[in-house]
Amino acid sequence: MKHNKIWIPIFLAPACILFLLVFALPLVLVFVTSLFEYKLMPNTFSFTGLSNYVKLFTQDPNFLPILKNTLVWILIHCTLHVVLGTALAFVLYKKPFGWKVVRTGYMIPNIISQSAIAMIFLNLYNASFGAVNSVLKSIGLEHLCHNWLFDNNTAFPAVTMIWLLFAGYTTTLVLAQLLSVDESIIEAARVDGASSLQIDFMIMFPLVRKMIGTTVIMAAAYMLQLFSMIYITTGGGPGVSTTNLPLYLYTTMKNRYDYGYANAIGVVIIAIGAVCMVAIRKLFRMNEEDY
Amino acid sequence: MLNKASTPAEKIVKVLGYIFMAVCLIVALFPIVWVIMSSFKSNKEIMANGLALPTSFAFTGYQEALKIAPILKFFGNSVIITCCSTCINVLSLAMAGYIFAKKRFRGREVLYAILSISLMIPMTSVLHPVYLIINKLGLYDTKAALVLVYSALSMPMSLMILRSTFEGIPTSLEEAAYVDGAGFVRTFFQIMLPCAKGGLASAAVLAFLDGWNEFTFALLLTSSDKARTLPLALSYFSSQFSFNYTAMFAAITIAVIPSIVLFAIFQEQVVSSMTAGSVKG
Repeated sequence: MKHNKIWIPIFLAPACILFLLVFALPLVLVFVTSLFEYKLMPNTFSFTGLSNYVKLFTQDPNFLPILKNTLVWILIHCTLHVVLGTALAFVLYKKPFGWKVVRTGYMIPNIISQSAIAMIFLNLYNASFGAVNSVLKSIGLEHLCHNWLFDNNTAFPAVTMIWLLFAGYTTTLVLAQLLSVDESIIEAARVDGASSLQIDFMIMFPLVRKMIGTTVIMAAAYMLQLFSMIYITTGGGPGVSTTNLPLYLYTTMKNRYDYGYANAIGVVIIAIGAVCMVAIRKLFRMNEEDY
Repeated sequence: MLNKASTPAEKIVKVLGYIFMAVCLIVALFPIVWVIMSSFKSNKEIMANGLALPTSFAFTGYQEALKIAPILKFFGNSVIITCCSTCINVLSLAMAGYIFAKKRFRGREVLYAILSISLMIPMTSVLHPVYLIINKLGLYDTKAALVLVYSALSMPMSLMILRSTFEGIPTSLEEAAYVDGAGFVRTFFQIMLPCAKGGLASAAVLAFLDGWNEFTFALLLTSSDKARTLPLALSYFSSQFSFNYTAMFAAITIAVIPSIVLFAIFQEQVVSSMTAGSVKG
């Protein structure tokens, strides 16, 4: 089978070309150009070392609030969102009446595009005809009505609600794992007199620990990819109160043409992603075997 | 059978469980139902009461929506781009996955580890370099640019799914094909690929959803109607839709319905691909 050897690189080539063009080369470029003063207006390209990073952390009044927004969203998403999705999975795996309908229905907001969800919420929050204010009016709480997305006090929580409650991915993944647990383990625990709550917490939870860890990593990654839902609804405002790092990178690049600075923000995003991944894997002991 | 003998506490838990299920379902579906409902109301009805049911069942909003924005054109772009990128993604990673699963060569594990790095990179961090590369290739504002980027987007998931799929296919099958005189390429396309149908479908579903719903790169890499995709259509035309809310709700409905229908049909496939992708990760 000598001809094998020629075909190996040929079969690997398409995947490697894709990887080079969309991952490897951009990754190198983002790290290298973050060390340059690299602007379109005025046209400059000169090595300045870490000065973009120094500027980010010490001179830019917008950066730290935006970094904080990003980290707060990651924290909320990794906790509340995942707990919600996991809790629903623990209710559904006992196959109560209608569990399949709930599983499917709860997944729907995650299956349609983020930009459509954003448009839907832009209207739900609309000050004059949006459903949120309409509900408040109909139950006599008219004084609580707000222009939710554009009011300084409500913009951040209002934007957060666009993704916080839709934990369909978490539910689906944890549920799939729960359903794959061997029935005999549950039966054995029942025979030993364990209540269903004890079974949930002492037996099932440890068995799906790694999958929950996976969904936490996915939740953190999701928050670092978050763009369209903010771009379409608030555009990051008022001020920078709902801007996150990806949106800041985008505006730095598209409105200020400051590419070196934008790519320094990119490196910060990559660093946060890596730290989150390592921390979550440790927290959920995902490298350890169960048995 | 055993849960017949439940204690009062367990009964309460059960009832709470049903309430929780109902709340989750309502929270998930209310926004979409509200939008679909509003698309049948007139502008006046929408402004008068945001929650009232439509008084008549008119499709005028849909006709106007199609007139205001070239939604069908964007829909077509989305179909072309996503189908191409899904095919390229699945085919190129099936080839690579097969090599990683079945062939020994120097540097195999190192190369696999390097390719897996792509899983660690939030794509929002490399917006500028990707923009730069697409420009240098002369692909700015073309469908090809988005096909290229989308083909790579779900690369790590596809690679993991397809490698483990090919690992599960017995090597004896391959050897039998060689003994019968089939060459390397024929063995792959006629023997191995048909055996890997399940994995191919899983990878394809994930790649399709990734491309179909992508917004950021579509926004970054296009500037005219000839390459814009459906996710852009809504936000791009929101100014044209102002003061015609019926049409806007209709446009959102048009954008949302295909995904929901596809999900309803391929539900089991979607769920199993997601699980396959995440377990390996």
